[in-house]
Amino acid sequence: MNRRNALSHISLLLGSTLSAPTLLAMDRRGRHQRVPGGFTLTSDQRSLVATVAELIIPKTDTPGAIEVGVPAFIEMMLQDCYLQPEHQSFVAGVEQLQQAGFLSQSTADQTETLRRLEAETKELMKAYQVQQTKMGDNEDKELMKKQATGLPFWRLMKELTLLGYFTSEAGLQASFNYVPIPGKYELIKLKPGQKNYAY
Amino acid sequence: MNLNLTTDKTHRYDAIVVGSGMTGGIAAKELTQKGLRVLVIERGREVKHIDDYDTAMKAPWEIQHRDKVPVRSAEELWANNRFVGMAQDDKAGFMTNDQQNPYVEKRPFDWIRAYHTGGKSMHWGRQTYRWNPADFEANAKEGIGVDWPIRYTDLAPWYTYIEKFVGVSGQAEQLAVLPDSHFLPPMPMSPPERFFRETMKQKLNRPVTIGRVANLTQPQPWHTALGRASCQFRNKCSRGCPYGAYYSSLSGAIPAARATNRLDILHDSIAAELIYDDKTGRATGVRVVNQHTLAVTDYSARIIFLNAGSMNTAALLLNSRSSRFPNGLGNDSDQVGRNIMDHHLGAGANATIEGFEEDLMYGQRPNALYIPRFRNWGSDRQTTYLRGFGYQGGASRSDWKRGVAMDGFGASFKQQMTQPGAWTIGFGGFGEVLPNPNNRMYLDPVKKDKWGVPLIVFDAAFGENEIAMRKDMMNSAAEMLDAAGFKNITGNNRQDVHLGLGIHEMGTARMGKDPKTSVLNKFNQVHDCKNVFVTDGAAMASSSCVNPSLTYMALTARAANYAVDQLTKKNL
Repeated sequence: MNRRNALSHISLLLGSTLSAPTLLAMDRRGRHQRVPGGFTLTSDQRSLVATVAELIIPKTDTPGAIEVGVPAFIEMMLQDCYLQPEHQSFVAGVEQLQQAGFLSQSTADQTETLRRLEAETKELMKAYQVQQTKMGDNEDKELMKKQATGLPFWRLMKELTLLGYFTSEAGLQASFNYVPIPGKYELIKLKPGQKNYAY
Repeated sequence: MNLNLTTDKTHRYDAIVVGSGMTGGIAAKELTQKGLRVLVIERGREVKHIDDYDTAMKAPWEIQHRDKVPVRSAEELWANNRFVGMAQDDKAGFMTNDQQNPYVEKRPFDWIRAYHTGGKSMHWGRQTYRWNPADFEANAKEGIGVDWPIRYTDLAPWYTYIEKFVGVSGQAEQLAVLPDSHFLPPMPMSPPERFFRETMKQKLNRPVTIGRVANLTQPQPWHTALGRASCQFRNKCSRGCPYGAYYSSLSGAIPAARATNRLDILHDSIAAELIYDDKTGRATGVRVVNQHTLAVTDYSARIIFLNAGSMNTAALLLNSRSSRFPNGLGNDSDQVGRNIMDHHLGAGANATIEGFEEDLMYGQRPNALYIPRFRNWGSDRQTTYLRGFGYQGGASRSDWKRGVAMDGFGASFKQQMTQPGAWTIGFGGFGEVLPNPNNRMYLDPVKKDKWGVPLIVFDAAFGENEIAMRKDMMNSAAEMLDAAGFKNITGNNRQDVHLGLGIHEMGTARMGKDPKTSVLNKFNQVHDCKNVFVTDGAAMASSSCVNPSLTYMALTARAANYAVDQLTKKNL
């Protein structure tokens, strides 16, 4: 995939979200530079991300995603650990939900919206994996990686929500039997419903 | 290079060891314990055992980016990051900044480095296996590379010696292909692993054993004396072990050498070249550049051990030019830098296991199963490749991470993730790489690093033998999982793997019988400069398929013993 094609591919994916000036700015960017200013969300978008995270891991008799700080974790992780393709695919997913009026939907409708998103993401993931395989064989893979399609929004959202929650102090302690120093390795027989260990 | 040059009596030692890692540590221990005053020159920063393992006891939530790699680390550690995990927050601080320590890839080479006290011995996989007698004979029988100047029996007592010192947990199996070590008690297998072991024995007559690993399961008095304790089954070894339970140069050899009061370690000091004296035909010392001040200092010694890591050791020889050795010290044969070998990995298979729902292993085992080489062994003859591979892998129950790719979210999904998931099993091969003189590294004629030392250029790649073997590594793993009745079998054969990724890079100053075709003799001495010994992976004439550190350490102890004997007899 050459650079011009890659850019037009991104703009197709994002629909109307990339304006002509943005595309021009991207065109002027050096090939290996990162996006100036990195990744940010508006306060509306932050609310939406928090709502989705809480639907994935809701508060029950144990804390939910919001209580343990998952929304801020997600934003920090996207800023620090992901490149432009994921920044764009994530924002595109957020904007898609914004345009669908997600925050004003009932909880039942929100759940239904996310179920549909999950089903669509399955298909997107197949294409993404093919792309990754091709990249693995390419000499120019660092460049391709930066131009490639980002992981779909739902996949990023779900992975970072689970990672943020199950490795947070409160989420981990509430979900698992935390044993930092097991001291031995041995077979045990699980009782019905017994929690897993975390180390 | 002659600016700030200083030399005085305080810079004179009996022996200099370049590098403090897996073999440098052993060289320092052996030489000091035999009465020599030793200087270890370490190019990286000082890491103090236990005190400096700053991430070792951190809880999951105290590691900011968990197991994800920040973009900044990925850029700074562009080579290290090719090996999964090396650039993660919990160990990135111990791995070499590749941007500041660049190298040139004429063809891609995955060079994983850890420039600090103990080197990669702090991060190694700890798998510890003896070579078998046939490994030492294969080159001669097949007409590949050069014949080893030693045989299994030459190394066997030194294997035992090192095994006792480091502490190797494992199960004696009496297999010709994988000679037993001097073992501490083995780590347990899980029920599905025991099932797999029995099934492979019955259906395919292939042995499966618990990994042989340098973690203490039952510390001996000489381990305890160094402050080493039992494995706590945390499986956080690569952060450094506060219990000293796994062997590293930091937990074992360096404390043992320090105890003699005959050891000095110079940190932040790059060995740039060896100084050669035409009159005596000996190397007289090492020229060192300070990492920070760029000051150049010469250190002298009667004998010099090179243990800088195979590639840096070869680079040091190549950069040591004199009228006697215009192409680098000991390089009359033009073999220095050639014959780069490694173990190729990233091919195997995985599957899911039905049943065993009530079984859970408590604790985290820092070890796996081992399936010894079965190809081109006994009655097996492969038509598409020579030599063979061993598998490492095992079974475990999935945890909450399974939720990422599966459908579902909400309260019941959250509850489900708190329980262990199904058992999965997987194996990946470690394949022997053949020596090939065209697989080489050399010094860039123009480009230098900020210390004035020429950059290393890599020009090497897998050959037909390795590529053919990888296909079988994938297919045979899948066949074995299928024979065990496991489900959802998926084979893999990564195409983005290059030489180096096995982190067993070796072969760049090989041992041999003939000075015309090899660099070192049977005691790891440079053929025509007898007071220089090379005992890291550079010395290897072939690679076997088993993890190499034990063999490197045994060669080092043997060479150190010989060196001191020769000094005593005034032959050096």
